[in-house]
Amino acid sequence: MKVLSLYVERDTFIHKLEPVTKLLYALVSIVITFLFPSITVGAVFVVISLFLAISAKVFKRMILLLNVVLIILLSIVIIQGLFYSKNATPVFKLWGLTFYKEGLLYSLLLIVRVVDMIISFGVLILTTRPSDLVDDLVQKGLSPRFGYVLASVLQIIPQMLSTTSTITDAQRSRGLETEGNLLQRFSAFFALLGPLVLNSLVEARERAMAIEIRGFGVEGKRTFVREIPETKADRWIKVALYVVFTVAVVWRIVLWIM
Amino acid sequence: MDNVSTLSAKISIEHLTYRYPFAKNRSLEDITLSIDAGQSIGIIGRNGAGKSTLCYTLSGLIPRFFHGKIEGSIKIDGEDVPTMSVEKLIRKVGLVLQNPFSQISGAKMTVYEEVAFGLENLGIEKDEMHERIDTVLKQFDLYKKKDENPFELSGGQLQRLAIASVLALQPEILILDEPTSQLDPRGTTEVFEAISQLKTLGITVIIVEHKFEKLVEYVDKIALLNDGKLVEYDTAEKIFSMPQIEDYGVGQPIYTALCKRMGLKKPNGYYPVSFNETVTLLNGLKMYE
Amino acid sequence: MSDAVIKVDGLWFAYKDNEYVLQDINIQFDDRPTAIVGQNGAGKTTFVKVLKGLLKPSKGDVWISGTNTKETTVAQLSKIIGLVFQNPSDQMFKSKVIDEVMFGPQNIWKDKKDKNFVYEQSIKALKIVELDNKLEEHPYDLTLSERKLLCLASVIAMDPKIVILDEPTIAQDRFSTKKIAGIIEELVKDGKVVLTITHDMDFVAENFERTVIFYQGQVLDDGPTEKVLSNEENVATAHLELPNLVRLAKALDFKTTPLTIDDFVEEFSTYKKAGD
Repeated sequence: MKVLSLYVERDTFIHKLEPVTKLLYALVSIVITFLFPSITVGAVFVVISLFLAISAKVFKRMILLLNVVLIILLSIVIIQGLFYSKNATPVFKLWGLTFYKEGLLYSLLLIVRVVDMIISFGVLILTTRPSDLVDDLVQKGLSPRFGYVLASVLQIIPQMLSTTSTITDAQRSRGLETEGNLLQRFSAFFALLGPLVLNSLVEARERAMAIEIRGFGVEGKRTFVREIPETKADRWIKVALYVVFTVAVVWRIVLWIM
Repeated sequence: MDNVSTLSAKISIEHLTYRYPFAKNRSLEDITLSIDAGQSIGIIGRNGAGKSTLCYTLSGLIPRFFHGKIEGSIKIDGEDVPTMSVEKLIRKVGLVLQNPFSQISGAKMTVYEEVAFGLENLGIEKDEMHERIDTVLKQFDLYKKKDENPFELSGGQLQRLAIASVLALQPEILILDEPTSQLDPRGTTEVFEAISQLKTLGITVIIVEHKFEKLVEYVDKIALLNDGKLVEYDTAEKIFSMPQIEDYGVGQPIYTALCKRMGLKKPNGYYPVSFNETVTLLNGLKMYE
Repeated sequence: MSDAVIKVDGLWFAYKDNEYVLQDINIQFDDRPTAIVGQNGAGKTTFVKVLKGLLKPSKGDVWISGTNTKETTVAQLSKIIGLVFQNPSDQMFKSKVIDEVMFGPQNIWKDKKDKNFVYEQSIKALKIVELDNKLEEHPYDLTLSERKLLCLASVIAMDPKIVILDEPTIAQDRFSTKKIAGIIEELVKDGKVVLTITHDMDFVAENFERTVIFYQGQVLDDGPTEKVLSNEENVATAHLELPNLVRLAKALDFKTTPLTIDDFVEEFSTYKKAGD
């Protein structure tokens, strides 16, 4: 793959939103679900995030993403169901092990938080071009240098990885065994890592020169070739998010005091 | 070397001397030469002669990127290069390097945006940006590829992209450091065609190249470097006709070597350096049956 | 022409699915130094990797000195066939020149009782490339040309019967190119089979008896260099160029195809006007 990106090109309302708006949603939903030890709150956000995923027409990819963490979710259920410190009420037995209600409920809370985190960030990542997200952040004040690092890493890493096969070929050509016992694999590691690191450094240096020549270090006003407009919808959503966030925080503090 | 006034010259270098930090020897020794606006100059010399170092100094990478102290002066339009502001400098001089792959910024996902990279850095207004990008992509036959990912391009296309990206900043001088060394014959042809484009645009071109047979067809003068010193700065025919050219480890166009072997000179007393000159000369001497 | 050292029989190769990068290659290599030419993407590098055993044929067979590449390992094959990769930075990782050269021999001769054998082989190789005065230096302190010679020495030290050079003259000046040509001559005299992948047509004309043109995964032409590189149609189809002397000879209506300056001078002298 040429780019380390999950971006899926579609023409939906969500896709047209400003990247920062989507980022804001993800952050707000995560903070709120963590703020409240309530499965209901978590579930509400999961439903909202899922709804966003569906309207962005990236539902299928989202399921694929979730599959990746399925094992983690399952292990949460098992560990908390069996060993949660506040376990008291047994619910069922499986293979001689007792699962308790308190643990299972707690695991549900954790799961709902993790799932929301993945779906809300997933909506951002699946509907936003990486370079657009970086451009948007830079426009809002992120250091352009840092922005460049973020944007380039997604393409440079796959490039770097493709040179590993050339390096492996070159060393295997000199009789290097890449399979075999632990000692063999260990010495193979250095033969492969050395050139990779050195090559990457040399190329990084050349690239640094090339971008310097194209004004990378210049201070002052910057412009952007891609239009990332803040629409009315963006503004309304952001206002809504700020309001929801503030209300949630206040409410949480009130609950805590009571 | 004449002591002609360098006031009108686009680029004037006087007694330029430079040593890389931590290097034992100097890479450039007392170089003096001047280049007029719109001229095309070739720089030749064996590996290690100082050709790249001269390119880096002309483009301002030395001392900004490489540090070390420069002695002597190097001026563009009368202004000192090492102390010029970077914004001003990159609008005057562009540099294209050897490796096509390491000149892509990596931060952009299409050819179009890649060209925009430098323009964004300089804060060029959007309308102007689009106009420049369109122009430059068409000039170097990349317009059809504008939505492709730069990493999908071939070596020759990437070098054209590098030239286009740098040219979008509208420098008056373009330096190319061995731009075809990693390309196949087709890529090489593409790059040289781009270079003749540059000439018609009136850009001052400085190119380091080992492929002399091609180089002589594109440059007005050649600067021969050896051990950091400027040995000769003259037209191709004068330089390659020098009997001691072999001593500099630099070789010569095969046509010149051939004619030297046969002792055949042009009417003006110099050996031919290009294909056409050689054909003309040899045809004149050949017996037709 | 002696027996085939490399035999390729009905070779097809695809990296994925049915996208064949090499199609029905049937070719043999003997002791003649041979150049493999073609534009980027024509399949030259893939072909050479298949010879080396780094890639196994999708269809067909490759025999190196009688051994089928499908039935052995890359490490075993590297004793008989060596490949000098294009970019020195893709393999250098030791901190001394001598250590870098000894790496290959150490791998293939790890069972040898004589510890000095590996060292001596390496010194011999370094002498051939004229780097035997820089044994203790750090490879990255060498110039680019020297690093390429170092990689060449690393392969020569393994004493393979076949040596393949991938773009040996890229970014090299005349001086270094001459050196490499001299080393090739020495290797050929030593009985080694030398193959090269290159874009430098003049280099091919001067040093290689036989030329194979690859085009879109197939062998477009194969034969004596003066014949293959004077066929303008094939050369143009493959997006290559005629060697400069051949181009000149054609413009002057020569009867033969001169590959070197000596050849050219000889032929031209037969055309000179009487009294010159």
